[in-house]
Amino acid sequence: MTILKLEDVDVRMGAQQVLRGITLDVGEKAVVTVIGSNGVGKTTLMRTISGIYRCTAGSITFLDQPITNLKSHRIVRQGLVQAPEGRMIFGPMTVRENLVLGAISRPAAEVSRQLEHVLSLFPLLGDRLRQKAGSLSGGEQQMLCIGRALMAKPRLLLLDEPSLGLAPLMVQSIFDLIGEIRSQGTAILLVEQNARAALRISDYAYVMEGGRIVLEGPADELSADDRVQSAYLGGKAH
Amino acid sequence: MLDIYFVQQIINGLSIGLVYALMAIGFTLIFGVLNVVNFAHGEVYTVGAFVGLLLITWVAPPLLVVVLAALAVGAVTGVGLERIAFKPFRRFRDEASLRSRAMREATLLSSLAASIVAREVMTLVFGAHMQTIPQAYLLQRPIAIGPLSITNGDVVIFGASLAMLAALQFMLFRTRIGLSIRAVSNSPMGARFVGIDTDRAIIATFAIGSMLGAAAGILVGLYDGTITPQMGFAPGIKAFVAMVMGGLSSIPGAVICALILGVAESVTTDFLASGWKDLVAYAFLIVTLVFFPQGIFGVGRERA
Repeated sequence: MTILKLEDVDVRMGAQQVLRGITLDVGEKAVVTVIGSNGVGKTTLMRTISGIYRCTAGSITFLDQPITNLKSHRIVRQGLVQAPEGRMIFGPMTVRENLVLGAISRPAAEVSRQLEHVLSLFPLLGDRLRQKAGSLSGGEQQMLCIGRALMAKPRLLLLDEPSLGLAPLMVQSIFDLIGEIRSQGTAILLVEQNARAALRISDYAYVMEGGRIVLEGPADELSADDRVQSAYLGGKAH
Repeated sequence: MLDIYFVQQIINGLSIGLVYALMAIGFTLIFGVLNVVNFAHGEVYTVGAFVGLLLITWVAPPLLVVVLAALAVGAVTGVGLERIAFKPFRRFRDEASLRSRAMREATLLSSLAASIVAREVMTLVFGAHMQTIPQAYLLQRPIAIGPLSITNGDVVIFGASLAMLAALQFMLFRTRIGLSIRAVSNSPMGARFVGIDTDRAIIATFAIGSMLGAAAGILVGLYDGTITPQMGFAPGIKAFVAMVMGGLSSIPGAVICALILGVAESVTTDFLASGWKDLVAYAFLIVTLVFFPQGIFGVGRERA
């Protein structure tokens, strides 16, 4: 079953058309990845889905409800939550405050249960609850960013460049985590520079170039595709 | 030995400083979420004073009720002000438009316009002359503490200000709306990604900031014994200076600087004719801008 559906989505910013005719599906409990080089519109796509940017044409449907150009907090309330590029955690606030804010779209009575759940996924954050979020290391901040998004009990989690700027060991644990989140029944739409690792954990993938989707298919087929190999995976896979 | 008169000046200064602090918090909160200065904040203070006066002359309720009414009307005024002078210039589609230079300049003028209109309307309705406070409500009854003589106004201002500061602190750190306000101040984009209704957080900020401003207005009206449509101007400037000294978006910074400013003004009258008193704030402003452009407690927030 499809939970997120984009049909012919265009985004224009001033005179520039940034997204052209994007059509994309995410199935229930699936991991779908969007790959492409810098500046092809991946982050714009993610922000448009979350209601930060406006679609100039096309439609977005989530759980059979139209969410096109809905305000971002309404989209979060429906269970579509993003861990944005650059993390955007609240640096001067404590780790606990960041997590509690993540559940702002949920009834207040649920917060402590969600907090317990998220801390079981990120035991490390449990030791830092009173620390300022800005004082965490890059990897810890990324964990906080994902944990904060999970506090909202998403049906679909959008992850924009979760491994950017992290040490290799940390990158591995982020990808392990994505597997774990998925196994708990949350679908994931992932944007990644690290195409190889992203394709390995994905069911389906899209390739973007110049604001359009130029290629799509099951992740293992795309990994084997010659064009993908040479452009994004640096030659033949081993 | 410590001069009694001097100690008394310091106590007076702290009372005035607390009033500046209540106002400066309004500036600071609003600057925090929107990066703009609300030039109509002084008029919110005046509105608070007039609401209190009307209530006193019509109903003559207990002082606590007068202050609560000023708080309520302050909240309503703040929300209305936001809707009229700020919201129309905000298009919430990306971070750039939430805190853009164009929005800052537009709201600078729109809030200034709102303040002029509000002041002129109050002048038309109430007249430009001083309104006097009925004797029973004046907060000028002397209280002797040893050799010191303070007034019940000092006590009321201390008590009310500290209670409001404590309530504010509780709100900002323990309630969802307070956490939302702090989150929007820190990262408007991040706030939207977690699902905060930024518009609601901004309205709440105006409501809370204006409540404190309006309460300050009635307290000072009762303390000084006079209320005029222009009364908000001078304390507005002082509070603005305290906000700048405090680093624009630091509440503790603004409160401490407001207290310093109040005490400095009060003590200055020891050395100079009281007509020079208002110069203190401007001198502080210039010194701050020249030597501490980030404010004394500033954290180097970008002002793009």
